[in-house]
Amino acid sequence: MFEVQNLSFSYDGITQVLRSVNLQIARGEIVTITGPTGSGKSTLAKCISGFIPRSIKGHFSGTLLIDGTDISGLSIAEISKRVSLVQQDSDSQICTLRVADEVAFGPENYGFELESIRNLVDSTLAEVGSSHLRPRPTYALSGGEKQRVAIASILSCQPDYIILDEPSSSLDPKGILSLQSILSGLKARNVGVVCIEHNLNAFRQISDRILVISNETISTWHPPEISQEPNLQRPPVQLGDRVLSTKNVSFSYGTNRVLQDVSLAIHEGEIIALMGANGSGKTTLVQLLGGLLTPQTGTVYLGETPIHGIDRKQITRTLSIVFQNPNHQIFERTVWREQNLTADILGIPDAESHQRATELLELAGLATMRERNPFTLSHGQKRRLNVSSVSVHSPDIILFDEPFIGQDLDGRRFIMRILAEAAQAGGASLVVTHDTDFAKNHCNRVVFMENGSILLDGPPEIVFQRLIETNREEFVSLGAE
Amino acid sequence: MGAQPSYNLDNSSIRRLNPLLNLFLLIFVLVGILIYPGWRLSLILLLLVLVLFKASRTSLKLSRRRTKFIILFSVILLLFQVVLTPNGTVFGFIIPQLGGFGPYFPITDYGIERGLSISLRFLLIVLSSMLFVSVTDPTLLAHSLTRLRIPFRYSFALVIALRFLPLFDSENQVVRLAQKSRGIEPEIGGIRKLLRTVQYTFFPLLVSSLSRVEALSISMDGRGFGYSNTRTYLRRSEWHTRDTLVLLIALAYLVLCVSLSLGFIPQLVGVL
Repeated sequence: MFEVQNLSFSYDGITQVLRSVNLQIARGEIVTITGPTGSGKSTLAKCISGFIPRSIKGHFSGTLLIDGTDISGLSIAEISKRVSLVQQDSDSQICTLRVADEVAFGPENYGFELESIRNLVDSTLAEVGSSHLRPRPTYALSGGEKQRVAIASILSCQPDYIILDEPSSSLDPKGILSLQSILSGLKARNVGVVCIEHNLNAFRQISDRILVISNETISTWHPPEISQEPNLQRPPVQLGDRVLSTKNVSFSYGTNRVLQDVSLAIHEGEIIALMGANGSGKTTLVQLLGGLLTPQTGTVYLGETPIHGIDRKQITRTLSIVFQNPNHQIFERTVWREQNLTADILGIPDAESHQRATELLELAGLATMRERNPFTLSHGQKRRLNVSSVSVHSPDIILFDEPFIGQDLDGRRFIMRILAEAAQAGGASLVVTHDTDFAKNHCNRVVFMENGSILLDGPPEIVFQRLIETNREEFVSLGAE
Repeated sequence: MGAQPSYNLDNSSIRRLNPLLNLFLLIFVLVGILIYPGWRLSLILLLLVLVLFKASRTSLKLSRRRTKFIILFSVILLLFQVVLTPNGTVFGFIIPQLGGFGPYFPITDYGIERGLSISLRFLLIVLSSMLFVSVTDPTLLAHSLTRLRIPFRYSFALVIALRFLPLFDSENQVVRLAQKSRGIEPEIGGIRKLLRTVQYTFFPLLVSSLSRVEALSISMDGRGFGYSNTRTYLRRSEWHTRDTLVLLIALAYLVLCVSLSLGFIPQLVGVL
């Protein structure tokens, strides 16, 4: 039994993140811990895996026990042999160039015998269904493959308990299914598993218990059967003119063909969910629609004009994009300056735009952070700042790439409002997402991509029905909460 | 994104040389051309490096903007030296005498030699470093360095750097796309605009890098990195007879460079 007793933590000694948290995890048990953005889920993960207070400083108190033995005096390396953490960003935690080297890294550090390391590499890769990846270079793996390798590299250290921080965040529904099977396998092997997760749908089926962190403490939570999705009615749509379109567009990175002959028209008033497996070409299509990439064949039209012939600032005025990683699109030193950056560049920093900038910051829950350095915000807050800062000048068209990752209910509500506003004002919104609830409740249309082509395009109900009929039901059943 | 890997896992004979030998070869080549900067020797070495690119099946990716920039920069270096070096036998003038105007900017044999020497050495330094990165397995290099009693904490820094180079490259491309989408254009008119351009590029990259560093450090510590002063290695580098032979040839080259530089072999100075 792994026990956390009376754990409290504060980074600065003023704002308490966790207060008197008690938690027990048995071997062979899967516990999912959820909670709103900024509630301290990742901090709890770092506390119970020993990184707080050893690597990350702060005001920590509490006791960690394994089978009744206090492990507070152990080093990180010693704790990690018993309780290991798999972080959210699998790309950043891979430190070697070959899959076999990566999985062997832990046992090598712990000085295991060579033969034992070889066996562990083989057995743990098999356990996560990735034996075929053994000779592959780590930089050439997909997101899901990287995560399986990251889990294998932790399992090869043979911990008794494994903690996964937001494991579904970068996975498509197929990847989530695969991870469910891996975690069930660990449970069967008597490993204790803690999943820190926003997307309850992802692991609800396999969890023994679901806990929630709120108000700095942890409690048992039984998620309601009815989705808590904000109940905004899908707006009735009067489809207008074509505002953005592609005609027979193809695109390759080097020799890797990513999009093949894609034709898509977005009309006034539409909110479109762009769905599909990881690597199906969704992000590339968004970047082409935004005029950021030039297709090798075919044309992208903004209205009726080829986008490559339009001045960049005019495109920015008409069309806004939010990328996947919030860190890549924050440029200024304060939240307020970041909020007004696009308006400044476009030369429209007037009283009206400042008024809207203020209103949007309030809606995004960032009004009190105007003078904060935006890089010090949480992941979810940064994402809301991205959305807010590209919306100040009220662009006609919104293109968001997976905006709901790491967002709680309030954050989702804010982003949905921005999307709906653009569509209702005679523009259109397109959102890359795996979130079927969002698509069903708020989108007029779902475009489903597969292998660089549009496989299905139509109203959500019809597209989802076809996905079920064609054995792709995981894309319907495993959407985010 | 089209991130390019640094180390290529292909297994040609060049790639089977000991990683430590590769490091020595790189150092020797660079030291040699610094000691004896003759353009003919640099040209011979450059041709040899190009042959090794081919032999190791490493693509130079001539179509890539970066490679084009390297070649363009070496040409600029050459022209710069030719234009600005007036010493030596004059072949002609870039601006000939027109009535009472000119002549200006003489083209001299010394200027051409100096230009070739600098531009070829620049190309050699860049391309041989690229070849080294491409054919050297960082994990085996780390093991080789450990055998030289360099603590594995330091030798692993190399592995990490090579692992993350392509990642930062692809992040840089994403930041540029994000800048473009916000209407941010690179500006160089005046120090303030230049600083702003630098800020808009480096802030996001720096923050992203720092967050990766934290995740990486947690990941490595969480798998026992530094648990003990020694560690086991699943893959080990081995030193073969062919490595000794290549090392001897490299040492001979270094001795040749020193001798040429000190004027011990005047017969060869005209040739090399």
